[in-house]
Order: sequence, then structure tokens, then C-alpha cells
Amino acid sequence: MVAQGKIVWISGPAVKADGMADAKMYETVSVGESKLIGEVIRLTGDVAFIQVYESTSGLKPGEPVVGTGDPLSVFLGPGIIGQIYDGIQRPLKDLAAKSGSFIGRGITTTPVDMTKEYHFNPTVAVGDEIEAGNIIGTVPESSLIEHKILVPPDHQGGKITKIVSEGDYNLDTEIATVEKDGQTSTLMMWHKWPVRQPRPYLKRYDPTVPLLTGQRVIDTFFPLAKGGTGSIPGAFGTGKTVTLHQIAKWADSQVVVYIGCGERGNEMTEVLVEFPELKDPRTGKPLMDRTVLVANTSNMPVAAREASIYTGVTIAEYYRDMGYDVVLVADSTSRWAEALREMSGRLEEMPAEEGYPSYLASRLAEFYERAGRVQAKGSPERDGSVSLVGAVSPSGGDFTEPVTTHTMRFIKTFWALDASLAYSRHYPSINWMNSYSGYLADIAKWWSENISKDWLDIRSQTYGILQREDTLKEIVKLLGPEALPDEEKLILEVARMIKIGILQQNSFDDVDTYCSPEKQFKLMKLQVDFYNKGQQALKDGASLADIRSMNVISLLLKARMDVKDDEMPKLDKIETDMIEQFNSVTGVKVEN
Amino acid sequence: MSNQGGVQYSKIAEIKGPLVIVDGVDNAAFDELVEIETTEGERRLGKVLEVGNGKAVVQVFEGTTGLSVSGTNAKFVGKVMEMPVSEQVLGRVFDGLGRAKDGLPEPVADSFLDINGAPMNPEQREYPKDFIQTGVSVIDGMLTLVRGQKLPIFSGSGMSHNILAAQIARQAAIIGTDDSFAVVFAAIGVQYSEAEYFKRSLEESGALKRSVLFLNLADDPAIERIITPRVALTVAEYLAYDLGMHVLVILTDMTNYAEALREISAAREEVPGRKGYPGYLYTDLSTIYERAGRLKGKKGSVTQVPILTMPSDDITHPIPDLTGYITEGQLVLGRDLFRQGVYPPINILMSLSRIMKDGIGEGSTRADHQEISNQNYDAYSRAQEVRALAGIVGKAGLTPVDLNYMNFGDEFEKKFLTQAIDENRTIEETLGLQWNCVSKLPKNELTKVKDKYVDQYYKE
Amino acid sequence: MSSNSGLESTIDQVLERNSSEFSQSLKNSLTDAQKTLSDSLPMLEEEYEKIIADGKKEADKIEKQIIGSADLQSRNKTLLIVQESTDKVLEKAKEKISNMDRNSEYSSLIAKLLTEATSALNTSDVIVFTNSKDKDVVQSAVSNISGAELSNDTIDCMGGVKVTSKDGSMSFDNTIDARIELLKPLIRKDIAAQFNLGNN
Repeated sequence: MVAQGKIVWISGPAVKADGMADAKMYETVSVGESKLIGEVIRLTGDVAFIQVYESTSGLKPGEPVVGTGDPLSVFLGPGIIGQIYDGIQRPLKDLAAKSGSFIGRGITTTPVDMTKEYHFNPTVAVGDEIEAGNIIGTVPESSLIEHKILVPPDHQGGKITKIVSEGDYNLDTEIATVEKDGQTSTLMMWHKWPVRQPRPYLKRYDPTVPLLTGQRVIDTFFPLAKGGTGSIPGAFGTGKTVTLHQIAKWADSQVVVYIGCGERGNEMTEVLVEFPELKDPRTGKPLMDRTVLVANTSNMPVAAREASIYTGVTIAEYYRDMGYDVVLVADSTSRWAEALREMSGRLEEMPAEEGYPSYLASRLAEFYERAGRVQAKGSPERDGSVSLVGAVSPSGGDFTEPVTTHTMRFIKTFWALDASLAYSRHYPSINWMNSYSGYLADIAKWWSENISKDWLDIRSQTYGILQREDTLKEIVKLLGPEALPDEEKLILEVARMIKIGILQQNSFDDVDTYCSPEKQFKLMKLQVDFYNKGQQALKDGASLADIRSMNVISLLLKARMDVKDDEMPKLDKIETDMIEQFNSVTGVKVEN
Repeated sequence: MSNQGGVQYSKIAEIKGPLVIVDGVDNAAFDELVEIETTEGERRLGKVLEVGNGKAVVQVFEGTTGLSVSGTNAKFVGKVMEMPVSEQVLGRVFDGLGRAKDGLPEPVADSFLDINGAPMNPEQREYPKDFIQTGVSVIDGMLTLVRGQKLPIFSGSGMSHNILAAQIARQAAIIGTDDSFAVVFAAIGVQYSEAEYFKRSLEESGALKRSVLFLNLADDPAIERIITPRVALTVAEYLAYDLGMHVLVILTDMTNYAEALREISAAREEVPGRKGYPGYLYTDLSTIYERAGRLKGKKGSVTQVPILTMPSDDITHPIPDLTGYITEGQLVLGRDLFRQGVYPPINILMSLSRIMKDGIGEGSTRADHQEISNQNYDAYSRAQEVRALAGIVGKAGLTPVDLNYMNFGDEFEKKFLTQAIDENRTIEETLGLQWNCVSKLPKNELTKVKDKYVDQYYKE
Repeated sequence: MSSNSGLESTIDQVLERNSSEFSQSLKNSLTDAQKTLSDSLPMLEEEYEKIIADGKKEADKIEKQIIGSADLQSRNKTLLIVQESTDKVLEKAKEKISNMDRNSEYSSLIAKLLTEATSALNTSDVIVFTNSKDKDVVQSAVSNISGAELSNDTIDCMGGVKVTSKDGSMSFDNTIDARIELLKPLIRKDIAAQFNLGNN
């Protein structure tokens, strides 16, 4: 029995309807004569409180509300990769085809083209026993993604009684039938899953593998692990979006889900224009072939913004269940929290800090808890991960506001963007004193096994120089740099070099935009060598001025842009130059 | 709207602040336009904020002063508020609700458009990349404005933001094209003299005939300010996407807009966010700012330069803060520079143009543009540090390189930043001045510029 | 002599030195003067050009202003004519309607206006107002609707009805005047098109 009621009250995206005794919580409903899409978020007697995902302008009391019987769900199957969806998984391209340049209302579409044929290759045969989560076949989805066709996680399993042979099928095709206890069910190449319910998995691992992003300050200093959680808070103008775009572009995951949640329209356009042009550094294929976009820009209806986060993370979990490493980037969770606040206000709930609902913290916790590196359900055995990176837009750049403080409780890597660094054009403006990563110890093993066993030591030395500089800066502020002895002045000098040569990274420079882990390590090692040799040279009587005028400094600073990832010998050359130049300032004779 | 409107209700339950609550209403739609008639027969406009259970909450744009519970009628018009548009709006002056204010009859309308517009489909946007030459060096050189961008001016009370906006409006041009171009100016609660300055400035440059002015002045009804930017943008969108014009929209002052919004929110007894502004201020502002852009398959564009005065020059105040999160950068005017008499007093370090990178470079301005601009940023930031240091240790305590940076800072502010109100510099002049500035530094300090550009442009 | 010649030579020498010094300083001042002159010439020229340029700028400004406002003025004149014509057309139309025969066509129009009004009010418990001329026509239409009453008071209008709920809380103006008011923008558009003032 689907609910059929009537609107009794409207205020912005919030609508009350009576006669809704048959409605279920979180059920999707059709609202009004123009059939707007809404979701039941509270039931009191036979009155349903509905958040409407489209503009309610012109809606009148008395218009009908009809239930669909289903909770808000996403379509999971081939054809998702490369799409740009709104917050409730309607392809923006289809919306444009139906309503032009501006988004109309009451438009229904299918998330993917159901008539498109995919080349299905079965991996099970008639008679095989299957269970929820099993892979029953594969479909090439894009140049980068082989789509695994999964038995839905809530399927009761059974014996395959029929399966189509290898060939091209559209999405309306029943590809297999399964029998269990005399009951027959059919399987398609897709299934639906309610967005607010995390997809199940078999077991969870500790995150020990770094998620490499090619961004030095992230990978080297404040790393994220595959299946980990990270947050990037920053006032406007601190380069949050550019940093997130960099992660989405270069992270070494197989699938990227990018959620533009209440942000600028042009930023989504930028992704749409750029990603098909950019090549994945590992495969050379277009980045769009591994990317799914969910765009609910700031001027689009606020309720759909709330849903967009769940839509995105459910898609991410689905690809995780195929055995892929997925990165989900959400820009910005603050706008999502504001959508919660707005709906909570219309519901006249008792507000907590700054008007946010008291359940803000638990909703954030639930979201970040959906990250993880897991063993998927079903066979064959496979591991996948969802890494979550959420931007936070603290009002006034104030990190003590509720969304930032609550987020910090649930994430392990914190990249604090700093307005003063951004003002001095130090990008990415990640403040190295305020940021942290809880994964450092876990992933150090990976670096030591794959890059260099000295990695942790060199990193600590580099970070140590930055920490020393931070304290020395206070003295300089009071007394000027001349008050320091030479060995401390050298610390300032090397810290400056580390900032320019390592921490800063120009995302618009063709070479600098991505830095391989090998190059990251080598650049860092060179700086540490320079520092150690410099201190030794001072002891051996060299003057600071001599050291400062060494032309190897400028090479070190520009190496991030001048040396491509495949030109590592050039860095060795810099090292030789450095040794020579130190020898000459300390007066050591160089034997020919 | 499905049902025809036109029913007039006379049972007013309550009047509070800018709101009128009408009782016994069973035929009204959310967002519907309402005509309020006073006992004296005066007509005011309003719209439905909330409807249901027999009540409609109506926000009256022209204020509720003089309304009484008895004798006031509310007519629900049966449509949302619309703005009549046609090419005829060019050269006209309207009030804050879009009604003719220049003594002439209403323009002949070609169509009537919902003033709220509709959200642009992000997939249908064309990424902005056409350089607009404003003739103002600091903008063209370091904070480039691009067609379809929204770039606000963050100012403080009494500073020269309106003069700067007027200069941009007069001088803005796309080099090498003769596309038709229009200015839409919306005064939101500003003083008569400021609006008049703007109008005169357009008149003197002969641009008035391709301009549309919407004036809600300081003594006009405050709630009307909710509507003013929306009617202005509705006209702008029409000119851009229906008539193919490139439209520059100037909205001044958005702080007054936000205050009107706060007034309504307070009257509705909503739970406030920061500083009493409603929690949905961000979303509401975005429905204004996001109406800038370009669309696939359409010739025109809407470029926005909203102006706001930061209360006590505080950039973390919710209005500039939330604006900055939506707009594609910001031009921040600095009180210090303004006091020193520098015009335009743009504090470049706090300012930013997010989509500059896509509008400049080879083929549009010059290949070295981005790099020389980065170098100037870097150097100016160093110069400021050195100045601060010199304040402590004195000039004598500075190294020779430090002194070079001091010289750079002076050259930058006096020769590059400073310019006359009617001075229209070409992009070549601007880039030349940028090189003059960095030429005050030794060559090896230029770490942000490729050597070949240094060889080509550095002045020994 | 010798002393004399010595003196002379000394004087000569002094003179010579002085004259050379003198001529030198003369020369110097000449070059100085020339330099000042040549220095100030471009300055003068610059000044001169600036005055010309300023004048030109001013002239440009005025020219643009004149052209701009001339364009606008002619456009605005047309607009006034359109307005005048619209008013005239409406006047004529109103006259025609006022003097129109209250025939069966008119009765069905009234009936339609009445049902529209009651459906908008969502009740037929209404009081109906009309002008003195239409009283009879309206009375017959009202009698077809149960609950509706015709008021004894008349209103000032060209024709049509105004309907009010019996408790007085709602009313719906469906007079011909009100309908014309709604149509006005469309009528204006048509007239403007004849003046070629639409979107051309």
C-alpha cells in the first residue's frame, strides 16, 4: 500500500503532508502536481515531514503526495563511470536534454542509459552455488575500469539455474536466474542500494598502505592511508578546491568519486573540462575514465545537497566491493552540515551550537565510518578500500566552529590550510605546524620497503628543521635575524629552502603538479644533506655568506619544476655539484 | 503555477516586522506574488514565505509601516514575481522592484521572467576563459577578470569601491572583439550621491544607452533589497542569453542585502547562525552570485562585480566570509593603502582571482603573464615582511637584498598600483610596469619566472 | 721695460687665463642654457600634448554623451508615443465595452466570470457586486448559483463582477476593468510592434 496524502504546509524545501499513515521513514515520495522528488524525514501521526529535492516555488497546499514504497536508493551497475550526477543520481546531461541550460523541475531520468549494450563475460556457470557479494561476471566499463557484476549484498544466494553466455546485452536483460529452496530469483547487471545504509563487507583491515597523491606535503609529511579519512579545513581563498582537485587527479586509486556539495558551479565545469584531457600518470588513460562526479552546486536545492554525500559514498562502496581502491572527495562537508541545519530549523528541532542540530556529530561520524580497507563479501576473495577526504569550510576561518571540531574527532589526517600562507602565495597552503597524520607510523613500513629504508629518519630530520625554524622565528620577530648565530641562521636558510623547494608545489606547472615518491624522497634527502654539510662547513670555518652564495641553492629550489620524474640522474648531478661547492667553500682541494 | 490566482483576502491575523500573516487562506502557493492594499488604497508588493493550515506568511517588500490588521487586503496574484524584459530596458532606470523610475512609461515587455531564475546546470556551463581588460593595472596584471566570473570587491565604509567599480564599468573591454556589451547596475541601499556618481559616470562615457540601472536607495524600503539584485540579474540573464550580450553586473552594497535578509529571519523567529544572520545566508547568497557565468551554445555572458562593505573592515564577518566561499576570488581594498591616498587601494596579498589562470597567457595576454604576476606577489609579500622587520631593527639592520625588496615595494605601490581614475592602461603597459617593478631586484631573486622571460624582459 | 714687459706678460697671462676661464664659463652657460632649453622642449611639448589630449578626451566624452543621449531620447520619444497610443486604444475599447449590447453573448461572459470567481474562492456562498447597468444580467447568472446573492450596492466598473465571500474575508475581482489591466502589457506589446519598437 503506497501512501497517498495531501500537502498541508510548505516552507522552502520543507513540506508537510497529511494522510501519510502508510509512509515509511526515508521513503521517496512524489510531491505535488509537478511530481517533485522528496524524502520523508519525520512521521508524526499521519503527518509526514518531507524534504523536497527540487524548488517548491508555486507549490500549493492541497496538492497530492504519493509514496514510492522505496527508500532513497542509487542505481549500481555499468555506466556510472564518467557521469556527472546531481545529488539524487540524475545525470546532468539528461536534465539538460530535457530542460535546457537551466535545471527544470519534476524531471525523471534513469541514472544510466538502460538501452546501451555492454559486453558481459560470465565467470560462473549453471549449477554453481553463489552467495551475496559474489562476482558472476565482468563488463568492460571504461578504458580503466573492468566492472564486476555483483550479486546484491542482500541477496539470499542459491544455485545458478540459468546464465547468459558471453555477449552484448543491455541493462534490461536478465542475465541469470538463481534458485534457493524452490524459490527463483533473477539477477541483472545492476542492483539498487539505499544510500543511507552502508554496504556490508566481510572484514576490515588496518590501513597500512599510503594513498599516494603526488603532493609532497601530503605524501611525505601528512600522509593518508588507503581506506583512511582526511579532512582539509580552510578559509576561502586558501586553495582548498585546488588541493582537492589535485588529490582527485593524482591519487593512486582506481576510482575517484568527486562530490561537489554546495560549491561553485564553475568548479564542476572545470573538472568536466579538465579531467577528460588529463592522463593518469600510471596508465596514461584519461582521468575521466575512472571518475564519477556528483554535483549539487550551492544554488541547487538544499535538500539534494544533503543527499549528495550519501549518493557519492554508496557509489564509492560499490566499486570498493568490486575490489578497487576508491577515493571519495567531498567538497564541502560544511555545506552538507548547513543543509542539515536548514532542514532541522524548518523541523523546529532544538538546536545545538550555532544552530546546528544535536545529531551533527553522529551524522559526521557515520559518514567517516564508511571509509575503510576491507575484504569484500563473497567470492572470489578481494580487497578494496574507500578513502574519504572531506573539505571543511569553517566560517571566518575559525577552526573552533562546530563542523571543524566535530570532524576532527572522526578523521585521522588533518591538513590545516592557512590563510597567511595563501596570502604570501605559498601553495598548497597546508600549515606544517598545525597539520597532522595519524597514519605516519603505519605507512612508514611501506616507504622503507619500497622507496628507502632511511625514509622515516630523513623525514624526521626535515621536519625537525621546520620545527626549529618555527621557534627561531619568534626570536627573529623580536630582535631581527642578525641576533642569531650562524648555525641558527643556517636553519632559517634551509627551512626557507624546504618551504620553496619541497612544501610549495605548483599545481599549474606541468612537471611540478605531480611528484613521484622517489623524487619526493630524493628532494628531501638533498635538503637534509645540504643542511648537514652546511653545519659541518660552518664548523670547518666557512662563512655563511659563502654558503648562501652557492649556486646549487637555486638548482635545489627549482629542481621540483626542472627535473621530471624520469630524470632522476639530474638530481644525482645536483648532489655532486653540492659536494663540490661545499668542498670549495671549506677550502678542501678537489683531486682531479 | 497550476491554479489561477487573484483572490483577495482581508483577514489579517498578525503584522510583525516586515511580515503580514493572512488567515483563512486556502488558495495560495509558496513563493507567490502578493499585492497588499492598505486602507488608503495604496498598493504594496510581497511574496509568500510559508503557506499551510489556512495561514500564509507574506513578506512585504515595501515594509509594513502604516498597515493595520483591519482594512488591509492581500491579493494573491497567482504567479511568482516576474520582471518584464526586452531590449527596451537598456538606458532605463528602475526602482528596487523593477518598476520604471525615470518618469517614462514602463518598457514594452517581450517576455516576463521569474525573478528567481533557475539554477544553471553545471554540465551546461562554459568554463570562463576570455580575458576582460579593465585598464586597471592591478586587476589586469594580477587579479584578472574573466568573462562569466563573479569577482566581488570587499571594501570598508568610506573607501573608493564605487569609484573603482565605475572605472571598471567604463573601461571594461574584450580586446580584439566588438561584441555588444551592457552594464547592469543595482544600487542596494546606497546613498543617492553614490548612485548618481555611477549614473553620471556611465553617461559621460556614453555607456548609458547600453546600461540598465536599478536603484534602491538608502531611504527606500529595506525589504525591497531582497528583490533588487534578483530583478537586476533577471534582466542581465535575458540580455546575455536571449540577446547575446556580454553583461557586467555591479551589485552595491551586498551588506545591505544581507541585513534585509536578517531582518526577515528575525521576524520569523528563526534560529540564527553567526551574528544573527540566518543559517541559510550562504545558500541564499549563492542564488545571487551563481547567476554569473557562460552557457554552452549561448553567445552572451554574465560577469558579476558585487561590492560589499565589511563591517569594521572584518573579513571574517559572515557577509564577506560566505561571499568569498561562493565567488571566484575577491578584490580586497586595504584601509592602509587608502589612508596613504593610493588609488585603487587593492591589497593584493588578500586578493585573488580564481580563474585568472585560464584567462591569461599565450594567445590571450602574454606567455609570461602568470609567472611575472607570481613573481610580483612573491616579492610584494617579501617586501611587506622586510618593512615589518625594518620597523623593528631599523633600515640599518637590513641586508642589501632586503633593501632591494623595500625598493621593489615602493615602486610597486607608486608606479604599478597607483593610477588615475580615468587612466586606461593596456595589458602591454601593465605587464611592462610589472617587469619594471621586479627589475628593482637582483636577477637571481626571480625564482618564479623562467630564465627566457628574464632574458627577454628584465631591465638592467 | 723689462719690468714693464714682465708686468705686461703677467697681465696678459692673467687676462688670458681669465678670458679662457671666462669663455669657458660662457661656453658652459651656453651649453647649460641649451640643455635647459632642449630639456624643457619635450616637457613643453608633453605639456602641450597633454593639454590637447585632455581637450580631446573631454571632447570625446562630450561627443559620446551627446550621441548616447540622442539615441536614448529618440527611443524614449517613441516609447511615449506607444504609451499614448496604448492609452487611446484602451480608452476606445473601454468605451466600446461600456456601450456594448447586453445580449446573450454578454450574459454567457458574465456567467463565465462568475463561475471563475466562485471557483477561485472555493465557495459559492458569496455576495456578488456589479455596476448598475449590468444588474439584470448578473442577477440572472447569480440565481443559477445556490448560495450566491447579488448585492444591492453597486460598484463603479465597466462591466463584469466582483465576488466576496459572505464572511467578507475573501474577494475576487473579475470585473472587465481588472481583466483589461491584466491584458495591458500584451496590448502594449502589439501596439509597440506596429511602431517597430519591439525586439528588432
